[in-house]
Amino acid sequence: MSKTTALVLGKALLYLVLFIFAVMTLYPLLWLLMNSFKSTLEFQTNAMGLPQAFTLANYAGAWQVGAFDKLFLNSLIYTVGSTAVVVLLAMMASFAFAKLKNRFSNALYNSFIVGILLTLQSIMIPLFIVMNTVGLYNTHLGVLIPYIGIGLPMGVYLGTGFIKSVPDALIESARLEGADFLQVFWKIILPMTGPVAITLSILNVSGVWNEFMLVNILTSDIDVKSLPVGIMKFSGTLASDYGKQFAALVIGAVPMIVYYFVFRKKITEGVSAGAVKG
Amino acid sequence: MSHTLTKKKEEGNAFWVLCLPAVVIYLFVMAFPTLVSVWLSLTNYTSGQLFAPGTKMDLVGFKHYLKMFGDEYFWMALQNNLSIVAISVLGQIPLGFVLAYVLYRKLVVWTGFWQTILYIPVIISTIVVGILWQTIFSPLAGPVTALVRMFIPGWENTLMNDPNVAMVPVLFVTLWMYTGTYLIIFLANLQRIEPSILEAARIDGANEFQTLGRIILPALSGVIVTTAILAISGSLKAFDLIFSMTSGGPAHRTSVLALYMYDNAFRGAPDYGLANAVSTFMVALSFGLIAVTQWVERKFGGKED
Repeated sequence: MSKTTALVLGKALLYLVLFIFAVMTLYPLLWLLMNSFKSTLEFQTNAMGLPQAFTLANYAGAWQVGAFDKLFLNSLIYTVGSTAVVVLLAMMASFAFAKLKNRFSNALYNSFIVGILLTLQSIMIPLFIVMNTVGLYNTHLGVLIPYIGIGLPMGVYLGTGFIKSVPDALIESARLEGADFLQVFWKIILPMTGPVAITLSILNVSGVWNEFMLVNILTSDIDVKSLPVGIMKFSGTLASDYGKQFAALVIGAVPMIVYYFVFRKKITEGVSAGAVKG
Repeated sequence: MSHTLTKKKEEGNAFWVLCLPAVVIYLFVMAFPTLVSVWLSLTNYTSGQLFAPGTKMDLVGFKHYLKMFGDEYFWMALQNNLSIVAISVLGQIPLGFVLAYVLYRKLVVWTGFWQTILYIPVIISTIVVGILWQTIFSPLAGPVTALVRMFIPGWENTLMNDPNVAMVPVLFVTLWMYTGTYLIIFLANLQRIEPSILEAARIDGANEFQTLGRIILPALSGVIVTTAILAISGSLKAFDLIFSMTSGGPAHRTSVLALYMYDNAFRGAPDYGLANAVSTFMVALSFGLIAVTQWVERKFGGKED
């Protein structure tokens, strides 16, 4: 076998492998999409082919049974609310850790770093008991506060690193003009943190939007549940109504897929920076 | 003198005003529950508000830990956590690396396209993925039965209810879902290697395999160790996928530590003592991993930066 033939064969093999991976990744999702347009009856006899009688009834049905309007609203409240608060509080704390002298500064900063690596799953039961004790079980606030607390470590890690690189002279000149530290934060530091605030927001949004475990144990009413918890219903009590199940899964998957295509570069950057730490 | 003193005081006050909100919420959500868990694992607490007058909370020693270590379901769950570590180390990490390498060296065209597709499973809600695959594997509705029967006529699909093979679909989906994460991590770190080093190797006549073995793998040694640690912590995090896909069944055969803990607290009669013992055990493992990670970072020198 000549060298060029080997090279061509090698290339062909590479493409074949990548192609198989791409099909393995996409096919289940396309299969899901395709079957969401079939009635459950048709799905049971035609699970592999294209829909014979195209219908959108599954979507209308799933939307109503799943109370998706409430789920979407709650998911939005949790995602936007926790992200906004995490960014603000994390940048405030980061400024303190990066630029203000205090003998507790290092210890507090390090405690946040431990939080990035701590496995959240391990504290779900005690967190549930604590939230119950303070009367926040099954409330919006009782979901938002944990989400904020969980988002802060990564925010403090990214924010402190970023604010450390801000020149001290900038802060000192504002100080000489009579600004106190809080004014320095509002007028100089916060406006500068744009890039890191965006990375942090993008990481936090995808984390909170998809979060299931905590909101599942911290809520019991549909009025406070989020999208992933609501979708679980289509696995249990509604599992045999496949048409609605598929529609519900598509409704659950689409927002993040759109989000991913919009912020693809930022998301992968953030993940590679954050994943190795956490 | 008094002027600098006020300045000092102002800095001190500003420090606390700026960081206290974050510190208080963080400690309340993460540190406090961790301590509560250690404490509850040693008491006979069964229900009700902490610190309330009527709440039973007497120390009972290591009773719950003895029960945990004596429970076959605990060991079954731990074994499944180890299976997930194994599939990550033997499956996701090598696959993620190979795919990242192919894209990094531009051995194919459309690298951005392949990367985008291979990462899609990571960003979809785990619950959606779990329910979807439950249906795909289900003997009644799923296409897996039809697919396998094309090769083995009359095959009985017992994947989801045969206790001996029930972990196979779970491990397959784990592989399907998270390989993209490792791909991204390896790709990001490969792109940090100086292109001039590779160029020099090429000029010196090194072939693809020599470049890989002598330059790229040694440069990535720290990252490879870090991803292995990530695989262990990832297995401790395993919950959503198994919860939605199998619920731990059949007969707890696909349970993992987090689900075992959940079951003891929320399914059937709550056993918070045992659940908190599991929680403390997992926190200890988690802290062990943090220590190992920091040791690795010192040893291999800050992997990515």
